[in-house]
Amino acid sequence: MASGRGGIPGPSRPCRLPLLFLPALLPLLVLLAFSFSPSSAVAAAASPGAMHNNNWAVLVCTSRFWFNYRHMANTLSLYRTVKRLGIPDERIILMLADDMACNPRNNYPAQVFNNENHQLNLYGDNVEVDYRGYEVTVENFLRVLTGRHESAVPRSKRLLSDEGSHILLYMTGHGGDEFLKFQDNEELQSHDLADAVKQMKEKHRFKELLIMVDTCQAATLFSQLHSPGVLAIGSSMKGENSYSHHLDSDIGVSVVDRFTFYTLAFFEKLNMYSNASLNSLFNSYNPSMLLSTAYYRMDLYERPLNEVPVTNFFGSVMKIIHTDSGYSGFLAAYNDGILLSTEDNILNHAMLQNESSQRRSNIEETEEAQLRSHGLTEVLLEQLDGKNADTIAMYGLGTMGILLAISTWLSM
Amino acid sequence: MAPPLSPPALRRLLLLVLSLLITSVAAENVEEFTEELLLRPLPDRKALAHFHFRSSAPPSAAPSRHHHHFPKAIAQLVHQFHIKELELSFTQGRWNYEQWGGYDPMSTNYAKPPGVELWATFDLPLGEIDATWKNLTHTLSGLFCASINFLESSTAFSSPRWGFKLNEGNLRYGALPREAVCTENLTPWLKLLPCRDKAGIASLLYRPSVYKGYYHSQKLKLASSKSFGIILDQTLTVVLQPDSVRGKQLHSADGQLQPSWSMKDLFNRKLSGKCLVSKSSRVFFEIEKNIVDKVDKSGTEASWTNEIFVLSSAPDRVLKEINNMDGHSSSICEYDVSNYNEDAPLDVGVTWKLPLIWSCTPAPYHANRFLMGSGNERGSISLSFISTNMHKQLFDVSNDCSIKAVVFQVVPWYVKVYYHTLEIFIDGNNKAISEVVDKINVTPSEDKLFPGTLEMLLRFPCSMQSAALSLDFDKGFLHIDEYPPDANQGFDIPSALVTFPEFNSSRSYPETDSLFVSPLLRTFKEDGVVKSYTEVLLVPLTTPDFSMPYNVITFTCTVLALYFGSLLNALRRRTGEEERELKKAAGKRGLIPLLIAKLRRRKVDPVPPGSSPASVLSSKLLLKVVFVVVVAVAFHHFSNS
Repeated sequence: MASGRGGIPGPSRPCRLPLLFLPALLPLLVLLAFSFSPSSAVAAAASPGAMHNNNWAVLVCTSRFWFNYRHMANTLSLYRTVKRLGIPDERIILMLADDMACNPRNNYPAQVFNNENHQLNLYGDNVEVDYRGYEVTVENFLRVLTGRHESAVPRSKRLLSDEGSHILLYMTGHGGDEFLKFQDNEELQSHDLADAVKQMKEKHRFKELLIMVDTCQAATLFSQLHSPGVLAIGSSMKGENSYSHHLDSDIGVSVVDRFTFYTLAFFEKLNMYSNASLNSLFNSYNPSMLLSTAYYRMDLYERPLNEVPVTNFFGSVMKIIHTDSGYSGFLAAYNDGILLSTEDNILNHAMLQNESSQRRSNIEETEEAQLRSHGLTEVLLEQLDGKNADTIAMYGLGTMGILLAISTWLSM
Repeated sequence: MAPPLSPPALRRLLLLVLSLLITSVAAENVEEFTEELLLRPLPDRKALAHFHFRSSAPPSAAPSRHHHHFPKAIAQLVHQFHIKELELSFTQGRWNYEQWGGYDPMSTNYAKPPGVELWATFDLPLGEIDATWKNLTHTLSGLFCASINFLESSTAFSSPRWGFKLNEGNLRYGALPREAVCTENLTPWLKLLPCRDKAGIASLLYRPSVYKGYYHSQKLKLASSKSFGIILDQTLTVVLQPDSVRGKQLHSADGQLQPSWSMKDLFNRKLSGKCLVSKSSRVFFEIEKNIVDKVDKSGTEASWTNEIFVLSSAPDRVLKEINNMDGHSSSICEYDVSNYNEDAPLDVGVTWKLPLIWSCTPAPYHANRFLMGSGNERGSISLSFISTNMHKQLFDVSNDCSIKAVVFQVVPWYVKVYYHTLEIFIDGNNKAISEVVDKINVTPSEDKLFPGTLEMLLRFPCSMQSAALSLDFDKGFLHIDEYPPDANQGFDIPSALVTFPEFNSSRSYPETDSLFVSPLLRTFKEDGVVKSYTEVLLVPLTTPDFSMPYNVITFTCTVLALYFGSLLNALRRRTGEEERELKKAAGKRGLIPLLIAKLRRRKVDPVPPGSSPASVLSSKLLLKVVFVVVVAVAFHHFSNS
């Protein structure tokens, strides 16, 4: 179980690197300083540099009560799909707010169906629910995401992801403009979600995160997200409802929601080895079938969607890391420091980072506008730390003179 | 030179060495696993199936030793938390003491209260137990996919001294009556078995049929000591309605007839061989004493085939209970699963030839618990005992004889029980407490800290037909955050436990194999004190309108805003001043019109007199220049230094 924890040691924060070894790298630094555009600085800061090496899924059904059977069926359908596509049970955090399978109202004990043909028992023989009943609260949900648990909480209830993890976060329930209801008495606000994701990013708890939400006005839940590497899919736009797909007259309630139903229809055709891209998943949603418009938020995501296979999130990678010596994943931080002390390595690393930042700057052009202000200050600080503070001061003085002239002319 | 040993002496020596070797191997106690299933027809046309799996690990010095098939998770749990004994049960439905019996090993050991019940005794100093218990609940909740961690808070568990089980203060007891029990609890439980549900008796556990039953109780019992190591007993007790075509045909005429059934009808599966690592794998079919009675009366001997019923296949062995109290004794048919395989699967069942009505032996008293009173303020709990007159058959009833009963009950803090209001009625007459209560131990509840615990030893006269105990309580108020999402459903008071220490339900069957004793039959023989759990009570508490705070906040804010707004307006507003300001604003020109005018190279309108003369403007400009220069010089200076 601990295999995913260590991951591959990522190179240390790129932005700090050139400054530490200044004398050896002066020519390179000059090059960097002049080619430094705000976006590249941001990209360099955002890229964790770790390889995608494990997958996690957090599947949440937030609705209690029997008439919300379909939400549990939605979640369990996704659970079955990700398990089928290769994510093991210990990497799935399943949260179910109520017990439907053994509910006295359920005519089919220990079975949950998402289709009235009753072909597929979603509850199966080996379901493992990590949080259930009263435990499904906003607090616990945020704790799972951010990893801030009491020390007694067992491993099976923790999201032990690292900076090489791709995480699928699926939520379903009743929601509204910028909120999702938990258990019909609490709410998760879009700000809470965005804060949690930001914290996860800061703590290097994911490399990429796919948030999939099936609820009314799902798109509004993503409005506050700002962390890079996040991709979001919602079942409906602001002001739209998400509808259930069909009613099962034997069970007596609706058994699946439209958005999830068509998502599953897409995945049922796939197996572990298929190469279908996220783009093809997004294109498979037909607004006239969903009775709502599926919403995708892609501006925080770096890779082109037609090159990303869905199995990057819904399946699992098991990368084998070849090492000549014993496994040293847990000592990653120390190894980094030792490696960097030799000059060749420094140069190589710096070159690589320079290259990667250039490449990312091209991709991130769209993102630039949002993040510019933040980037500018960083660049300014960087420059001020260096030797060219003089030039900046001179330029500043000149600019001030021009400003002065303009203001004088205006007030004349 | 020593004389050579004569051949017989040599042989004797070899034999001795060999036998020593064998005994030492036997003493080393390798890990063992046994699987057993007991089937029994019940009087109300249902069937009882009881699965018993026992894994044992020998004592070991190092906690991280290798295990062959004993679950490592359990071994680590025992070592980590220094557990002496632990019992965790997940139950859905309630054992029907009237119909399914209350005076046999099954009902006393495996009838459990609904929801989750957990108790454990620790081998630790008393001060560390509470913290260990807290960690244990978390670990178990992770292990068994249940919300057992709700038992961690001190409001949820208690430490009974003698009412539940005699102990030295190292026992903790907690119950969650509303915990759901489903497949996700069975999955990790099965993962503790060496063959899981892939082979052996556990392969019968087809989830939809198991959970369709009237009662199922999944139990895990751990015992550990330095001498015998760890013994893990996993049991699953289910009461099922056999659903077969044969059965329907037979009982369609009137409801009293017994349906014929077999394992295939109960579980939808047949048994095709044992789990290969198990030391023993057996299926038992138990025939109750009362059936044996009837069969005996019909004139035939109660073996596996007689005039009343016939078992589907011939058992390997038939055991009769060793009973010296009266003539009747139940019998058990034993099947060895290792004799069956894929081609010839085992399908034990019963076919009734003649209609038969029988009943199970009840406990000496039927214990029931009720809630009395109405309204959201107060109420009372009443515990009633109704005699089944069973003891009259067993003992000679003299006038001064009495029967002991121990009551153990835990009540959450928001049900504030007034223990001084205890009233006891025997056969309708109010009795003094000292007449009936021999010993009482009360731990009163403390708000948001401890639950109330009541342990009581009662002594009823043998001639008593019914008794009723009542206790008054007030309903407390919870903090708004403490209400569960479905608060209007009400709150549960966990089951009370009633024990009859003078009655022993143990059943001993003769041991056929001197080397191996079946764990299931051994538990039948041990610890058979008659117990019964009462119903869970549902107390409706005052539930606030949860939207009320929002309403109150919005209304209050509106009122306050209106009040302060108008007050400020009245105090601060100067109408005369406003008019003057307006006039002034009409005269002034904004920056943009000024700019436009400049661009059009038109002369600016003459400014109103006295507002901004040219001298003021130039001094302002001068100040600005000086300021910028100072700033620039300062900046330059600091950046250089």
